[in-house]
Amino acid sequence: MADLRLDKIGKTYGVYTAVEDLNLTFEAGKLTALLGPSGCGKTTLLRMIAGLEVPTHGRLFLGDEEITDLKAEVRNFGMVFQSFALFPHMSVAENIAYSLRIAGRSRRDCEARAAELLRLVQLEGLGGRRIGALSGGQRQRVAIARALAQEPRIFLLDEPMSALDAQLRGDMQMELRRLQQRLGITTIVVTHDQKEAMTMADRIVVMSRGRVEQVGSPQDIYHRPANAFVAAFIGTANLLPGLLHQDQIQVGADRFQVSPEMRISDRSEVTLFCRPEALNLYREAPPSNGLAAEVTFLRDLGPSIEVHLTSAQGDITVEVSGRTDLDLQLGDRLYVEFPREAIRVLPRDAEEKAA
Amino acid sequence: MTVEASSLAPNGFRRLASRGLILALVLFLSVAPFLLVIAVSLGQKIEGGAWDWGLTFENYQRFFVGGDWPESWSPLHLQQLWYSLFYAIAASLLAVVTAFPFTWAMTQLSRRTQALWLIFFLTSLSLSEVFVAMGWDVLLSNRSGLPMLLREGGITQWLKEVGWFQTFRDWGLANPRDLRFKPTSFATILTMTYLVWPYAVILLYPALSRVDRSMLEAAATMGAKPTAVMLSIVLPLVRLSLIGTTLLLFVFLLGAYVVVAVFAEPAKQTLSIAIYETIHGLTLNAPFGAAQAILLLVAATLLLIIGTRLSRARRVGEG
Amino acid sequence: MRWVRPLYMALSALFIALPIVVVCASALNSGRAMLFPPEDPTLDRFLAFFVEEEIWVTALRHSIIIALGAAALATLMAWPIAYQIWKRKDGLSKLIAGLASLPFALPPIVFGVGLSFLWSFTTGLGEIWAGMVSHAAFFLALPLVIISIGLQSIDRAHLDAAATMGAGEAVTFRTLIFPQTLPYTASAFFFVLVLSFNEFIIMFFVSSAAYSTVTLQIFNSLRNGFTPTMAVGAITFILASVLVFALVARFGNLPKLLGADDSNAP
Repeated sequence: MADLRLDKIGKTYGVYTAVEDLNLTFEAGKLTALLGPSGCGKTTLLRMIAGLEVPTHGRLFLGDEEITDLKAEVRNFGMVFQSFALFPHMSVAENIAYSLRIAGRSRRDCEARAAELLRLVQLEGLGGRRIGALSGGQRQRVAIARALAQEPRIFLLDEPMSALDAQLRGDMQMELRRLQQRLGITTIVVTHDQKEAMTMADRIVVMSRGRVEQVGSPQDIYHRPANAFVAAFIGTANLLPGLLHQDQIQVGADRFQVSPEMRISDRSEVTLFCRPEALNLYREAPPSNGLAAEVTFLRDLGPSIEVHLTSAQGDITVEVSGRTDLDLQLGDRLYVEFPREAIRVLPRDAEEKAA
Repeated sequence: MTVEASSLAPNGFRRLASRGLILALVLFLSVAPFLLVIAVSLGQKIEGGAWDWGLTFENYQRFFVGGDWPESWSPLHLQQLWYSLFYAIAASLLAVVTAFPFTWAMTQLSRRTQALWLIFFLTSLSLSEVFVAMGWDVLLSNRSGLPMLLREGGITQWLKEVGWFQTFRDWGLANPRDLRFKPTSFATILTMTYLVWPYAVILLYPALSRVDRSMLEAAATMGAKPTAVMLSIVLPLVRLSLIGTTLLLFVFLLGAYVVVAVFAEPAKQTLSIAIYETIHGLTLNAPFGAAQAILLLVAATLLLIIGTRLSRARRVGEG
Repeated sequence: MRWVRPLYMALSALFIALPIVVVCASALNSGRAMLFPPEDPTLDRFLAFFVEEEIWVTALRHSIIIALGAAALATLMAWPIAYQIWKRKDGLSKLIAGLASLPFALPPIVFGVGLSFLWSFTTGLGEIWAGMVSHAAFFLALPLVIISIGLQSIDRAHLDAAATMGAGEAVTFRTLIFPQTLPYTASAFFFVLVLSFNEFIIMFFVSSAAYSTVTLQIFNSLRNGFTPTMAVGAITFILASVLVFALVARFGNLPKLLGADDSNAP
């Protein structure tokens, strides 16, 4: 097992840049999710790793071996496609054993390996079925088994859940994660669903417009987003534009106490960020970091209630426990408290300032 | 619902009447001609180019044994059938085998470029047999075209020096002094292949353009080289379309008239030529011409059945 | 190995284009003989074909009349049949469609023989109108398939929506179905037009030497040797075909019409 290392990998189509010079390392044995909105370059990146797309520049290493110019058919990376791409003219077992048959292995080897993998994905005894006779979930298991049959050095999955219905998705995410942990195989999953990424991944790479916005664990990404894009893309975020002044942020007429932020220079324009569940609601004004707001919408989700408010500084979303003793009504005038330790200060890049 | 129910009676009647009319029209235009051929083939020729209804199988017997039976046996008509089949099978296979790689390459291009190629092929596809014969006649004629080009270019001389010229003579593709391409079976099959080549592209196109690209990529990630991808994925996926296309081209070529008239040697003419000659030519024997047409149809049908059986047998064997 | 594919494509294109180029170039010959490359190039042959030589002018007129008539007739006949299959999907409409496609699926020469018998019983042999009807029957399968593809591309939810807004069958047809399939109807018409223009064997049988079209006239002149004037006829036909198919490609989705899957466009 070896790390997969990307050295300034980039892909351009004419004047359009799909992936901009990326430096990334995928740790051996870990599951990494490439997460981002559609068109962010994550699938192009995965296809370059698979060898299906030639990078315009940069180099790829697996351990010490350079694999930039290796063709897909000799790279030995197993891949699960978005459409699963199962071969309709072959049975389930023939699909799974395809890589072995191509490599010239004996019929008995092929059958034994297919049976073993069918057991692994809990489809024992379905080897003789035709692909057309399988359900969506079964097809996905076959696609996974087929990609694993060749004992790939890296396991790649391109939006593997998008062809499944919502109910099945959650189950398959957990199952895939367990399988990956059991096999200890280096795995890269492309997804646009943050919940999916957080369910499965050791590490998440958030991408947008061909660039990496942040790399980190699910907890890192959720609680300590690097910028406003990541904060807004993962879960719900309250973002207020302001001016940093020592340990305070001035947002319009309101002022918030924050923990000192070393990375950001004083008196620069910043964004105040806070997750909905970290905010508190009061009838009376709190001693500090309070913001007057009016309830505009209540979304009762059972275990929690999502309270939408409007304030002089913009719209705020607060998540309170379903067992709250606040008797919330539309039009209530309340105070939202931004606890000092829950606030994060995000830098504003040039583009955001322009907008 | 109530509106429809109340107007059902007159509407239903009108609908039925109009469908009856369509059915009658189709029966008259598309089916009656074939029935007539069968009916006439059972009739008898009477003196002076006319013929009469009848119920005799003489015309069919004559096809297999000749007109002078039982005094002598003539395989003339069987031979014509054989050449019909031979030319059609050779040319349809040749066309599919050469058009397949082309069509595959074409489906890899952008949609816009594909449309341009399709215009090109539709144009050449709609080109009449007559024009095709004309073009190749000029190309293959001894005074201009290929033989002249080869002669002026010194290739003919070179072939003579190397000694390969004799091989061409043995194949009937040269007279003592020059290469000669018509009339020969070579020219006939070449022009027939040309005739159906665009059809082969157009008929293979749907199946090939629907092959899912991600399947090919999946095969590549599992270690399949391009040749293996072609053999293990693409060909099995489009096998039915390949067989179907070959059969369609074959049936189409059975009826080829002009190119055979222009390019085949007099002794190697096909049934199509014979049918026209029998009905409208010197003999004016409509019943026998009809019998020949029916037998051409029967031969075509038999080969179609064999072809489809073959493709099905293979399919069962796989499963 | 990258050059193998384009090279093969180029060679194939050359193979297909070669006789066409030769025919076109031959039209420029000034003498009676058909030579390539042409000797003493001239455009006189075009004048001869379109204006001066009575025999070609008449043949061209016949070709145009028959092609236009056959295309219109075939499209008109195909519409109700295709519509019934799409609308009702019952056995009878499938049977009618199957029978209507019969002539196109069998060796054309057999159908030609049959038609010549049919018309000899109904006084149509050697008549222009019979030629028109013969071509309409022969090519009927084409507009049938093309219009069916067009009908299948209609979203049935649109029809339900129209019904909830009070549109009856006739109104739905006029306001929704017909406009949406108009490109397909036009394509069907032009396909038949071009193919009828170029068709030889059916016309060979049903004209019974009473009149000639351009293709028949060329075949008749074949025995006497080619003349450059004939090549002008060929050029005219080729240009007409290119124009028609370019129009079909411009206003319709040619790859889809020929069976490509839209979702799989590279």
